[in-house]
Amino acid sequence: MNLKEWIFTTDHKRVGVLYLIGSIVAFAVAGIMALLMRAELSTIGPTITGNPTQYNVWLYAHGAVMILGFQIPALTGFFANYCIPLMIGAKDVAFPRVNALSVWLFYVGIILAVLTFFIPDPPDVMWTGYPPYSTMTTGNTAMYSFTVLILGFASIIGGVNFLTTVAYMRAPGLTLNKLNIFVWCTLGAFVLQLIFVPVLGTAVTLISLDKYLGTNFFDPSKGGDVLTYQNLFWFYSHPAVYVIFLPFIGVVYEIIASHAKNMVFNYKMVVYGGIGGIVLLSGEVWVHHLYVSGMADWLRIGQMVTTLMISVPVGLMMIGLIGTLHKGSIAFTTPMMYALGVVFLFLIGGLTGVPLAVPSLTLAVSDTYYVVGHFHYVMAVAGTFAIFGGIYHWFPKVTGKMYNEFWGKVGFWITFVGVNIVFWIMMDIGVKGMPRRYYDYAHFPQFEDAHQWMTLGAGILAVGFAIAILNWILGAINGKPAGDNPWGSPSLEWSTVSPPPHGNWPTPPSVSEDWHPYGFKKA
Amino acid sequence: MAHDAHHAEGHAHAHWDTSVWPFVISFGILFLAVAFSFKFVYHNSFAAILSMGLALPMIIAGVAGWTSEAMGKGDGFSYSAMGWFILAEAMIFASFFVSYWYTRLHADVWPPAGNITLPKLMPLVMTFVLVASSLTIHYAEHLLHLGNKAGFRTWYLLTIVLGAVFLGMSIYEWSHLIHDGFTIGTNAFSTVFFSVTGLHGSHVVVGLGIFLAGLPTVMRGDVDEGFMRTAGLYWHFVDIIWFFVVSQIYYW
Amino acid sequence: MHDTLKRVLRGAAAMASGTALAASAQAADATKIANPAASWDHLWHEVIVDITIIGIIFALMTAYFVWKYRRRPGNEVGTSDKLSPASAVGWVVIPVFVFLSIDFYTAANGWVLWNEYRDVPADRLEVKLESGMYSWDYTYPNGVRTQNELIVPAGKPVMLRMTSRDTLHSHYIPDFRVKEDSMPGRVTYLWFNPTKPGEHIVTCAEYCGVMHGYMAGRIIVKAPEEYAAWMKQEETRLAAATAPAEATPAAKPAAKPVKKT
Ligand code: HEA
Ligand code: HEA
Ligand code: CUA
Ligand SMILES: [Cu+2]
Repeated sequence: MNLKEWIFTTDHKRVGVLYLIGSIVAFAVAGIMALLMRAELSTIGPTITGNPTQYNVWLYAHGAVMILGFQIPALTGFFANYCIPLMIGAKDVAFPRVNALSVWLFYVGIILAVLTFFIPDPPDVMWTGYPPYSTMTTGNTAMYSFTVLILGFASIIGGVNFLTTVAYMRAPGLTLNKLNIFVWCTLGAFVLQLIFVPVLGTAVTLISLDKYLGTNFFDPSKGGDVLTYQNLFWFYSHPAVYVIFLPFIGVVYEIIASHAKNMVFNYKMVVYGGIGGIVLLSGEVWVHHLYVSGMADWLRIGQMVTTLMISVPVGLMMIGLIGTLHKGSIAFTTPMMYALGVVFLFLIGGLTGVPLAVPSLTLAVSDTYYVVGHFHYVMAVAGTFAIFGGIYHWFPKVTGKMYNEFWGKVGFWITFVGVNIVFWIMMDIGVKGMPRRYYDYAHFPQFEDAHQWMTLGAGILAVGFAIAILNWILGAINGKPAGDNPWGSPSLEWSTVSPPPHGNWPTPPSVSEDWHPYGFKKA
Repeated sequence: MAHDAHHAEGHAHAHWDTSVWPFVISFGILFLAVAFSFKFVYHNSFAAILSMGLALPMIIAGVAGWTSEAMGKGDGFSYSAMGWFILAEAMIFASFFVSYWYTRLHADVWPPAGNITLPKLMPLVMTFVLVASSLTIHYAEHLLHLGNKAGFRTWYLLTIVLGAVFLGMSIYEWSHLIHDGFTIGTNAFSTVFFSVTGLHGSHVVVGLGIFLAGLPTVMRGDVDEGFMRTAGLYWHFVDIIWFFVVSQIYYW
Repeated sequence: MHDTLKRVLRGAAAMASGTALAASAQAADATKIANPAASWDHLWHEVIVDITIIGIIFALMTAYFVWKYRRRPGNEVGTSDKLSPASAVGWVVIPVFVFLSIDFYTAANGWVLWNEYRDVPADRLEVKLESGMYSWDYTYPNGVRTQNELIVPAGKPVMLRMTSRDTLHSHYIPDFRVKEDSMPGRVTYLWFNPTKPGEHIVTCAEYCGVMHGYMAGRIIVKAPEEYAAWMKQEETRLAAATAPAEATPAAKPAAKPVKKT
């Protein structure tokens, strides 16, 4: 193997694999932070560290790295890079060098994030970085700003690249209504990234300007306003949750269609109603993160309605997903187990968002573990399961080999049990009043048992995730040959050899009138 | 990796494209971030200069290497990609303006203490210069399209000069204001004033940078029409943003 | 199914009359002091039941399909046919209608509760709160100050006008189901209605710094007479401590008027 051809590669598949490796490393690092936090919370008072700042740094790194270093890169970096050109029958992306730039900027971003553990005064501003704390702390807020800026920039140029690719490089005959759902989902996500990441970039730049160059954006004594930041931040970070949701549900669609060998149910409803609706609505709901921040009342009420309305396009996507099972031929492979897991876990996570959308109800549960439970179900669990299932699903494509089914399922069930212990309990103690971001909960002794159960659950789910990661590593080294199309899918990425060569197909493919990515035929 | 061997036949002649420049630029940017931390967080100017010394050459070499490697070899997608990129850029400006409106409209008193009156004539002249430069580049492209390379070159150079004049006036104005004690830290309005004009100015610099990057090919006479159209689009965008800057910052 | 249908109908009705509902709720209770905490429990319970029902319907559908259409001999490939245009449209219009009804119904209920939360009774005790790293500093109308302990009489609504001298904090009283951020440069408010004597925890719900987890205080609700006695004692202490000129009750806070939306 030629290391130089990997590091300096501009090939979309290798760039994708680089993204995958980086994001799994980020997941392991941030996951270990989570385990440390859980260990700390297992008893009241200091448990494994006597220093609250240490805990806050773990929490900061956990949140920021999980979202910006693991999920967004895994979804819009690995899956998009690996699959989109293959799914649309292109030899590569429109700007291969820009693609290489974005993956290396991503590595720079996670290097900065990991430096957190080695620098003096590490950032402790939480992943939200609210001023005035972030401009007053002795922690290194600049590190936070640059991490976010660089990862954000990587993602913008990635977005420009993929929108151009899909617009101009589709195989002859591949009309818009024949794109894979995953491609549509990712396009939606990239449109959101292009529109909203710059806003986040601005927000984090302003805190570093305020802190280090003496500007007054958020300093009320000089006419600034602290709420400006929160509005900018959530104006991005709410759409960001759909940047995660759209590609991951896209992955789940691919898995369910392939392993039930069935046509996607009501394709146009999913694309135009579901994806389109989410993209249209996602910019009008950010205030639901500011329900207790003293926003104007009319904004809180107005955005309650838009937030609740998000359940319509998301609900349509759930109908499409469940409808695809109808009259299918469902094989219980590991990817399918994960995909079905996502359906159940996402239902729990999404539906628990509904009470949060109501500002009067949120007055009691905002900033408690109820919220933490909600977003772990909907994002950390459903999203991670989709990513894991997707990696299993395309594992034969990427490596040409097969993973081990038995250990795949074992890993799935262990994590499935673990996540439900941890995150269900979170929602319960949240409603009872346990606030989030507490290093110590001395004045809530009644929750100590619950915290111990969660720590136990976290230990269980970590074992499950570790089994999955080991399964891939071992499978890549000495799995059995998988053949070019082990799932029997008509989707274009399976029409070339596994793993595909540089350029993907010897001769560029074209598709016929009656071809469809989900047109499964009897073998 | 092992799979290379597995498909050895297919790969025998396979050659995987590579480019070192994206890697070099990325790590240049890493050192830039590190330099900022050294300077402003840890107050270690020596280390900061050291990492700047790594960052700048890497970024400049990266951009130069990239341009010479790729110039004229694209598939002609850059114009539409620039459209998407401008969408993202516009959102940056929008965030600044919205923060400004939000702060201003929520303030109990405005302008905050310490304000001075801004000059009214200078921005008009600057507007004139920038609009003129947008017209000149448009005309230059037109000539290029007709095949008049010499005419193109003249108007192209004129655009660069106008851009530079604009920048000069900006710097002149800044230095005057700062001299009068109106700095970025004075109050919320000065913060907005300097950051928004500065952000716009940095875009002028980038636009000029793109033009300068194209200059060698222009002088040689083998200009790439796609490149020019893309560069022109960016320049028009910078021009349009200026209208917002003038109207919101100077005359409101 | 019957249950859902009823719910949908109720939702549609609520959608049409959301405004009217909100208005009438207030008019009717003009004399009685509202108790948002109890209404919160009620609505919370109701919404949780709603989403549980929705969740179970979707989950059961999934489980049923997964079982019924598992891969067996003779079923190697999915057989769903293309939807007819009419059913394709129907599968959009009907779910959209159902989901929207549930949404608007929830929204209307939420709105009613919101009005209750924002309808501060006129007869109230108004206390100023300044939060700081890491304490809650209360100032009563007569200038009496306390730290981390808010002592209030039972049976009288209490309103806090809040601001912060440093970072963001959030004054969270789990027992009364209220919280609102306090921040520098702005004034926010919340109110609650303590009905019987007792103690309630106040805890900080917005990350404010290293000791965020330790920023706790208490609301101590006393019987009215006990409260009066305590207040008397504090007043004399205050008078003794400050010069007579300053002892006059502090001017009414020039805070923003309480507006309802
Ligand atoms: C992938 C990530 C993801 C996704 C998809 C969502 C989806 C949703 N989220 Fe969540 N959310 C987060 C990630 C995500 N969230 C994160 C990270 C935070 C916390 C950030 C922080 O503070 O650190 C958060 C916080 C958060 C808050 C703020 C809480 C607070 O801080 O006080 C709110 C409030 O409204 C909210 C609501 C919702 C809603 C209504 C949805 C909806 O999109 C859900 C829609 C889905 C369904 C409703 C289920 C399926 C639909 C049906 C079965 C149809 C029928 C249903 C009905 C008609 C109701 N979320
Ligand atoms: C995608 C996002 C994501 C994911 C996947 C997770 C995953 C987990 N999270 Fe995370 N979490 C967030 C996003 C996420 N979280 C965010 C945004 C916050 C809020 C931050 C803030 O407040 O600012 C948060 C906050 C948060 C808290 C709240 C703390 C507090 O408020 O004080 C807790 C507490 O228990 C927690 C726990 C966990 C646990 C136990 C997991 C587990 O699922 C983790 C499991 C993973 C592992 C354990 C790694 C396994 C891998 C290995 C062990 C490596 C093996 C290696 C080889 C074999 C080579 N998280
Ligand atoms: Cu005060 Cu958290
Ligand atoms: Cu949100």
